[in-house]
Amino acid sequence: MDSVDALIAQIQGLSSSPEDINALHTHLNQSEELLLSNVNRLANSLEQLDPSKHSLGYLYLLEASTSGPISREQSGEIVRCIARFIMTCEAEQIRLAPEKFLSVCKRLKDQVMLLQVPIQGIAPLRGAVHKLQSSPEHLTPLHPDFLLLCIMAKCYKAGRSVLSDDIIEVDQPKDFFLYCYYGGMIHVGLKNFRKALEYLHNVVTAPMTSLNAIAIEAYKKYILVSLIYSGQVPAFPKYTSSVAQRNLKCYSQPYIDLVSSYATGKISELETCFEANMEKYKSDNNVGLVKQVLSSLSKRNIQRLTQTYLTLSLQDIANLVQLGNSKQAEMHVLEMIQDGEIFATINQKDGMVSFHEDPEQYKSCEMIERIDSSIQRVMALTKTLHAIDERISCDPAYLAKMGRERPRFDLDDFDSVPQKFL
Amino acid sequence: MSSSSSSGLTFKLHPLVIVNISDHYTRVKSQQAHLNNGVASPSSSHPPRVFGCVIGVQRGRTVEIFNSFELLYDPVTDSIDRSFLLKKQELYKKVFPNFYILGWYSTGTDAQESDMQIHKALMDINESPVYVVLNPSINHAQKDLPVTIYESELHVIDGIPQLIFVRSSYTIETVEAERISVDHVAHLKPSDGGSAATQLAAHLTGTYSAIKMLNSRVRILHQYLLSMQRGDIPCDNSLLRQVSSLLRRLPAIESVKFQDDFLMEYNDTLLMTYLAMFTNCSSTMNELVDKFNTTYDKHTRRGGRTAFI
Repeated sequence: MDSVDALIAQIQGLSSSPEDINALHTHLNQSEELLLSNVNRLANSLEQLDPSKHSLGYLYLLEASTSGPISREQSGEIVRCIARFIMTCEAEQIRLAPEKFLSVCKRLKDQVMLLQVPIQGIAPLRGAVHKLQSSPEHLTPLHPDFLLLCIMAKCYKAGRSVLSDDIIEVDQPKDFFLYCYYGGMIHVGLKNFRKALEYLHNVVTAPMTSLNAIAIEAYKKYILVSLIYSGQVPAFPKYTSSVAQRNLKCYSQPYIDLVSSYATGKISELETCFEANMEKYKSDNNVGLVKQVLSSLSKRNIQRLTQTYLTLSLQDIANLVQLGNSKQAEMHVLEMIQDGEIFATINQKDGMVSFHEDPEQYKSCEMIERIDSSIQRVMALTKTLHAIDERISCDPAYLAKMGRERPRFDLDDFDSVPQKFL
Repeated sequence: MSSSSSSGLTFKLHPLVIVNISDHYTRVKSQQAHLNNGVASPSSSHPPRVFGCVIGVQRGRTVEIFNSFELLYDPVTDSIDRSFLLKKQELYKKVFPNFYILGWYSTGTDAQESDMQIHKALMDINESPVYVVLNPSINHAQKDLPVTIYESELHVIDGIPQLIFVRSSYTIETVEAERISVDHVAHLKPSDGGSAATQLAAHLTGTYSAIKMLNSRVRILHQYLLSMQRGDIPCDNSLLRQVSSLLRRLPAIESVKFQDDFLMEYNDTLLMTYLAMFTNCSSTMNELVDKFNTTYDKHTRRGGRTAFI
């Protein structure tokens, strides 16, 4: 009797009740070596198992059978096999062996990247994310992989389904950094700059003990997105880790230059800066965003005009904003009206633009619903924050620090006195 | 003893003073009751007396009593704590530079002989102090305020010149801010929890009960009409006419203008709530961030010092 066949029989027998599955889990862990030594035969054995019923056993076999080197011809088949497994498997069972499931999913990701068909991995990985996470607030290591595939495949909208959940539980810091970084990129792709800013901001301000490349890249993008969205880059908030506060700026000098030339409001200056640092932006793959920064300056300048003037001719706009001619100015104004960035009407007869106030009167039922849902969300958030606050208040590390703080106050005050008089 | 004053001064008393005295008395009384809970002491049988200073301004013949503060009374020596008084005076001088000490207050049914001692003691601060007495015992038959103001006058009695208390008339004077706050305090019920929003709450409760009443009445009419429709009650045309004319008056506020204004007001209120929630949330967040920084950020203000301590 072959041991692999015996194992298959056991998997088939022990996949119904929770107790059986637990027993099977221990057994499978013990027979891992056996599986690894019979890699070649496993593909056939897999066919005897039903991924929806024998999910745990199937997972172990699948993991073992894909652990070896995979040839290009096989990989298409393997991608299909893993995808089918992920879509049909039982969430309860695979959560018993998350590390196996992760490794299978990572392999799927690697294969679709290798085959250059990232779009094939999107649906399976989204399924995998939902099956692995214990609640929608839980960040799994699969989140970043999924988002990466979305970016590679340019399926930004697919990524939104996962990004719409608020993340509270995080296993690994690296997952969080990547998740937010990719999330920011997806929102940039969707031209949803407010959200993108939020995600990139999360990366930059996330607690870190040493600087990491993700944060640096995110900070560069953060500067650009922030310029596009609000025309300025706010200072670091106080919850930014000190490592980030001290070091990030040194690594992103070309971008800091961009900020200062943006602040002058002159397009020519911004263009000079752009030309000068072209190489840097190119090597960072940020040229597209920098170009959007350039075009956003004209818009910002037009927006500024609305605060001063009630009516203005297109020619004057072109002059004031340093646009080539009135035609270009008209295009810009039209675009901005369409995007709801300004409220204005263009009089075609005499080429005058009249700026209006925001017509929103805040007297619709939709507005009530919107505010109401915002209030609900803030309340939920406050509740969560309170829970976290309570947890950190009881945290031994915090209490130890608080205890140490007191005597130190006196000592510091004491020895700072002579220094003043030195 | 309590003949009318002949000084010709006009007294104006602010309600804040009365509220202060009353509050002082109630507080001391309840504290005493609390203290004597275990030990049944004889002093609990008669109500405590409280002492304090009244302050305000004198302009010509008009004396306006604006405010008061409490004094410590030593029952053993039957006198007030002098140093405490001076300290308090100094403090009040900083806050209200225009106010002077005009006299003092106490509680009781009438001015007592022993009060003259205290009165005389105050004469070096104000040469003609006033004495405000609040009668704490509640007399439902009495319509006047249980507050009396006494002045001291020098009278020759039995050949010896002595000071006696004479009763002065006074009027209640009030400024707008005071009126509102006193009105507020007057409506404050302990059952409401005494929050600052009680007046609003009272207003809203009134509106709420009115709407509730209207709603229930309309429902009764509705039920009546329904049962008439079913034939349970004989059809009464004159009643129906009355109902019809009544109902016609109800939707008086259904117009686009009302709808717009209502929604705008409603949204304003919602926004206020939103702002409050937001502030609350930010404050929690801020606290959390502070705690987090203390815990995990090694390089806060005192980086590197820890090793030496």
